[in-house]
Parts: sequence; C-alpha cells; structure tokens
Amino acid sequence: MNQADVSKLVSQLKFRVNPRLRKFRNSGGPEERLNWLRKTVTALIKHERIELNYPRADEARMYAERLISDAIRYGDCHKTTMDVADYWIVEKQLIHKLFKVLVPRYEHYNVAYTRLIKVPRVYPGDTLPKAVLELKGNPYPSLLPDTSTNRGIIHNVLLDEAKKAYRQQKYAEIAAKIDAAEEKFSDLKISGKDEKNVSSL
Amino acid sequence: MFSSLYPFYMVFRVKMFLNIRNGLSVATNSSKVIRQLCTKAAAFENVTNNKQSNESSKNNVVDYRHIYPEFLPDPKPEFRNVLREKLERSDMIARRTQIQIPEFYVGSILAVTSSDKHTPGKNNRFVGICIDREGCGLRATFILRNVIEQQGVEVKFELYDPTLHKIEVLRLEKRLDDKLFYLRDALPQYSTFDPNMEPELLPGGSTVPVNNLKVKLKPKPWLERWERQNLQGVEDLGLPEKFYIRAKELEKPWEKYDLMKDYMKTIPEEEQTEIFSEVQSHLHKLEVTRKQMKRKRVFVKPSKLA
Amino acid sequence: MSIIISTIQKCCVKSLEEKLLALSLTSTTQIREKHKLNPPPRLRNPTWFTKQNRVVKEEFLTHENKEFLREIVQDKVVESESKLPVVSPKEWNDKLQRTGVIARKVGIYPMWLKDGTRIQTTLLQVLDNHVIRYYTPEEYDPPRKQVGGIKNKKGCLLLGAESADPSEFTKEYCGLFRESGVIPKRVLSRFFVSPDAVLPLGTQVNVLHFQVGNVVDVRGKTVDRGFQGVMKRHGFKGMPASHGVTKTHRKGGCIGGGGEKGRVWPGTKMPGHMGNRHRIQKGLKILRINTKYNIMWVSGQAIAGETNSIVTIYDTKLPLRKPTNPVPFPTYIGEIDSTIPEDIYDEQVHMFNDPTISYDEK
Repeated sequence: MNQADVSKLVSQLKFRVNPRLRKFRNSGGPEERLNWLRKTVTALIKHERIELNYPRADEARMYAERLISDAIRYGDCHKTTMDVADYWIVEKQLIHKLFKVLVPRYEHYNVAYTRLIKVPRVYPGDTLPKAVLELKGNPYPSLLPDTSTNRGIIHNVLLDEAKKAYRQQKYAEIAAKIDAAEEKFSDLKISGKDEKNVSSL
Repeated sequence: MFSSLYPFYMVFRVKMFLNIRNGLSVATNSSKVIRQLCTKAAAFENVTNNKQSNESSKNNVVDYRHIYPEFLPDPKPEFRNVLREKLERSDMIARRTQIQIPEFYVGSILAVTSSDKHTPGKNNRFVGICIDREGCGLRATFILRNVIEQQGVEVKFELYDPTLHKIEVLRLEKRLDDKLFYLRDALPQYSTFDPNMEPELLPGGSTVPVNNLKVKLKPKPWLERWERQNLQGVEDLGLPEKFYIRAKELEKPWEKYDLMKDYMKTIPEEEQTEIFSEVQSHLHKLEVTRKQMKRKRVFVKPSKLA
Repeated sequence: MSIIISTIQKCCVKSLEEKLLALSLTSTTQIREKHKLNPPPRLRNPTWFTKQNRVVKEEFLTHENKEFLREIVQDKVVESESKLPVVSPKEWNDKLQRTGVIARKVGIYPMWLKDGTRIQTTLLQVLDNHVIRYYTPEEYDPPRKQVGGIKNKKGCLLLGAESADPSEFTKEYCGLFRESGVIPKRVLSRFFVSPDAVLPLGTQVNVLHFQVGNVVDVRGKTVDRGFQGVMKRHGFKGMPASHGVTKTHRKGGCIGGGGEKGRVWPGTKMPGHMGNRHRIQKGLKILRINTKYNIMWVSGQAIAGETNSIVTIYDTKLPLRKPTNPVPFPTYIGEIDSTIPEDIYDEQVHMFNDPTISYDEK
C-alpha cells in the first residue's frame, strides 16, 4: 500500500479504532464475515441496545459508526451511501430510521455515536467476555453508575479542602512575588529620579 | 518556433543502455539542443501550471489530495508517527524550493531532466507516459514509459531525488484507470511518444480532461491476467468464455461494502485538512516567489528566451 | 629443651591430624582446573527491577479533584526541572567511556548524499533523559562474574526517560527517583561509564550529547514474530512446490546424520520462537541532528524494533570507528537556544534546500 487512497473521503471516527480487523472463524470467508456482522448492525439500529459477545460487539461498533457518519456526511440523496445502507441494514424499513431519526440525532455530536460497555462475568456460567453495545441517546435507563453522590465520599471532601488550602498558598506566593517586584520597581524609579536630578544639576 | 530547430532533431540520436532494474542513461551528443528545448518547454509549462494552481487554491483544501497525494502519510497505524511525518513534510517543501514539481496524474505525459552520473556535465531528458504513481513522503515515485527504437523503456523516478533538474508536463490528462501497467502488453503505438513533443496548453480555468482512449492489447501471453482486473481503458480482450467465467468467480463484490477496510486505507478528512492547511501556506509562498522570478527572467533577459 | 620441642611437635601433629580428619569428612574428590572457569551467572535482577505499574482502581473522584491532582503533578514537574545540577566540563581522551541515551525509533526515510546516492536513514528521537542513580565501580555488582576480575572497572549510570504521572506506578518504583528528585519515568536503562564521565543526579542529557559525523551503536528489541517455521526464521529454501512433493513444502528437511554420530547436533536450525530479543546494530553514522525536536538521523534501516519502540544509543565500541576529535564530555552542557542551528548536517549529506545536484565534467 504505502500510500493513502485519495479516491474516497471519510470523516474521522470519534473513538479509538482497532489497528486491524478481526477475521473471525467462519467457513464462508470474508463475505460471510460481513453477512454476519450486518445482522448485528441491523439489530443495533433496531433495538438501540444489544448484549452480545465482546469481539463481535467491538467489530460491529466500528461498522455501525462508519455507517452513521457516512449517512451524516452525504445524506440520503447520495447513491453510494444509499447502496451501502441498503447492504448493511437487512430490515429495509430501518433505512428510514437511519436517515430520519439517527442522522438528526447525531448531526452535532462531537463524540462517538455508540457506547460499548463490558458486562461483568457471571460465575458459574459462560466464560466468554460479553458486552453491551448501545446507541447514545436511546430511551432506556442508563447503564453507567450514578456519579451525583460522589462528591460526598470522604476522600473527595478531603481533596476539596486540600485544594482550597493549596490554592490559597499558591496565591499568597504569587502576591508576595508581585509585591517584591513592585518594590524593586519603585526603588529603581526613585533612584532613577535621583540620578536625573543629579545630572540636571 | 520549433520548426527552425528541425534540422537539429535529425542530429539528435539517442543511445540507450537499458538497465536490468529500471534505470536508464541516455548519452546525447546534442545536449545543447535539449537544454534549449527545456527552457522553452518550461516557459510554456510554467504558464499552464500557474493557472492551474491559482484555480486549485480557490478550491477546498481537501482537494489538494489529488494534486499532492504524497503529502498524505502511509495510513498503516504501525508506521505512523506525527513528528516524523511533520519533519518529512518540511523536507519535502525544502526540496520544492529548488524544483517545481507540477500537478500531474497517471496518464499524463511528462519530460524529466536529470543529471547523469555516467556522462558528467550532461543532462538526460526522458519523455514518457506516467503509468504509475506511488509511495508517500520523500519516497514518492512515478514510472515513465516510452517506446524508443522499437524497445519499450520504463524509468522509475523519485519525485524528491535531488538529481532531477526539471519535471515538465507535456500533456496534462487522466486515463480511465489508476494504473496503466497494461500498456506493457498493449501494441507499441499506445506507449510511443515523440521525445521532442511540444507541451500542450490547457485553456485557463478548465478541469483536467479524462482521455477515454481504449487500448488494444497484444494477443496472449501477457504479464498479468488483465481480464481479472476490471480495466476500463482496454478494448475487448477477445478471450474464450472460460476466462471470463473464472474472472467472475474470483470477483470480490462485497469489498466495496467493507466500510472499515476503506477507512483503514485512507486518511480521514479532519487529518487531511490539518496536513494541507499546514502545507498550503508554504506552497503558496513558493508559487509567488516563482512568479516573481519568472517575471524578472522575462524582462531582464528577453533575448535568451526568443 | 628437646622435651619441650617434642611436646610442641606432638601437639602440632595432633591438631593436624584432627584437621585432616575434619577435611576427610567434608572434602570431595579433586576437580581439575575448576578454578579457571568463570562461575555461572547468578540469576537475579538488578536492584532497580521492581514492580512498575500499580493496579488502578476506580476511586470515584470528581472531575475537579482529578484536575487538581493533575495540577499538582504538573507543578512538581516544573519544580523538579527548575533545579539544574552543575556539571563541569572535563578533558576528553579516547580511553574514556561516556554515557548513552534512551531514544525512540520514530521512522525511516531516504536522504541523499552530495554525490547523488540515495541512502536510507532511521530517525531516533532522544527522549527527556535524566540521570536517576549512580553505582560506583565498587558498588556495582554484576550478575556475571569473571575470574581474575576486570581491570578497568566501569561505574553504572541509571538513566530514565518519559516522565509520567506518578500515580500509575508502585510506591517502591517511585522510591527509585527520590534521591535524584526527578519525576518518575516510564523507561529505565543502565549505561556503563568511566568514573570520570559520571554525571550528577538529575542531569538532563539531550541530543547534542552526540555529534554529527560520529558513529554510534543502537540497541533495540527485535519485532516479536512468535513461533515461526524454518523458512521465515532462518531463511531456508523449503521444498519444491510440485513434482511429486507431498506435505513438505515449507519444512526444513533432514536435521542430522546416522552412523556413529547419529543424533541431532546442538545448535541445529529448527522452528521456534523468533524475535523479541535484544540486538545491537553497530557502526551507524550520525548524518543529521535536529535540535528543536531532539532527533537524529542515523544511517541504515535495520535497527531492531518497530516504529515507536524504545532503543538505547551509545558511542560505538568498534575500535576503528571511535571518535578522534574531542566530543562533549561528560555531556553537552548548557541549554539548546537560538544560537544553535535547528538542523545540523553532516558534510556528506545533501541538504534538501541545496540546489539540484549536477555532475561536473573533469
């Protein structure tokens, strides 16, 4: 390769992309891999939150993000984008959802459109790592822990106080420096005036 | 203007030593003629290039990617380093202060003048069609092809090689394909170009034309299985049906839907704008100084040009 | 008198006998020339090999408090960098060994010489190297001892590079940096130096430690390729693709003969783990130095490791390529400011804004 392809222009994805794609074990080769992944992408667009194996979720996330970012970039009047959307979305009524619901929702996002959360492993049970993949701005209750009460935790309270003390000390030091500089400056001025007087005399 | 020099052309005899790899050295016994031609060609060529570059500067910064593809780094994540890319770009611009590297594409006809190690004091000028352009940064290369004395000759030049004196675009156009390696298996008339070709001017403000020429290939055996490569610029190959059936079997129609594969082959738009907006001011400055230099040349020494 | 002597002799003989008895109990059969062999290396790590990274747990800090902690670290960095130890220049001679530096392999690109030849160069970015610790020749206890000892024993200088947030390291790792007052670093590396070339703790070493035109050795860790076959690992030819060959296309073939020596000889090239070993490229010439970004261009493209991996650079050990002119000793002293040019080129190298090369007729 050694040279970037200039025939296509893409928007940057807003999350850390894997350095290489997973091959997955499937008998059908690369074509089957995409067939397999597009079921996941369709399900994500349909249900907005799905639970599945981690590697598949991670892979499907990249494709879902690319699909949405292309839809935002080119809109529904662009033939290639429509073709790609037609390929990736198996249930065709969801193409309307992509262009009429998701595009307006994510148009002004500066962060990733999806969220991938690792699911804690249940013991005894399946040992494969699981994940939850969801579209941001979905109607379900949040899966992330509530951080509103964190302020009351003891080490946060202590750190708040430490911060106040640290800042006070810092400001005092800065003020002392400014005072010292001013004094010097005024001394210089006075001596300068004296010199001038002497010279004028 | 060129007709007055016509007798000299007859003197112009080219001896070639075709290197095994891709080098070529041409010893000429009338290097003066070549130099004169070069200056004339350069005068024309400068005019055309200035017009084009003015036009392109109005366009979006991202459109620079077609004109200066080598400024974009290799998208492979394991080779990337921001600092190295920055230094490489500054070195490329430093080299561009010494040589004008014009806008050209695969399918354009170029003339490259380079100094020749084996005949000191002389320069070697090679005219040919650009059949490939690849590599990024300081290792960007292009291949020129021509048929000289019934012998196909290809030379691989490095874009930033300091032994190149001049790169002239004699005919600025694109072909239907990104790589023209099939010219090696085409009839020689498609890759034969007159070494004394005059530069062709494009009318100001026009886009780069696409040549819809369909090339006729020689009968098999070929260097590659061209029927499998979905070539646009080739006439009907006239092969038995079984070749097309096999080609159909080996097609990968799903690849155009593999969005991440595309993504990993390109540099995203945000990064491209960053790179080209950094480079743009330098390139613009170079353009301005070149114009000033040209004006000086035109008015101070008119006798030499005429 | 004679009686006294005889009694003494008796006593001596008795004690000697006792000693012999004791010896016969403990001593074993004599092994010839055992004392001449080097003892086997004692497998133990140097003192600075402690557990580096801490297990980071979710601490439910508020956003402002995280910012506050970051601010404190930043202040500490500024404070530690403001204290500059005094280094006095010394006279250099070719017997002395200077310290090396820790660098990052940034990439490879071509450059051209003044005669038009193209060469490949590797870019090495010298990181923020600080002296962490010094072990005097007596203190330093190498894991591999030599019989008879080493004549000119070298001291050991521990250098660190890449400042990081101390909260990502363990306590004992951070303790390594207490003496020098430097903020904890991600990478540590030791260099042997002559006792004269010792740098005070906390000294920074930059790219101007080296000079353009001199020759260096670079040590890096090769790309880890995992378990590889014989064709990739040792460059064997393999077997033919057709002509009746079955199931042995990439195999090595015979590994030993029969008869009297019917066994596999030690060191036979076979499949196995490839890469992830430290390798040294010797005799690389410094062609260009960029003082703004602390980068040096070094000839060659075969330095071990991927792009963005860590390497160490030091003056070459090749006897005929050691520097002849004085080099900055013990290191370059002073800041890099506007008086120093941004790019320093070797005289052989074609600068990119030099005019085009043309060959003169002789």
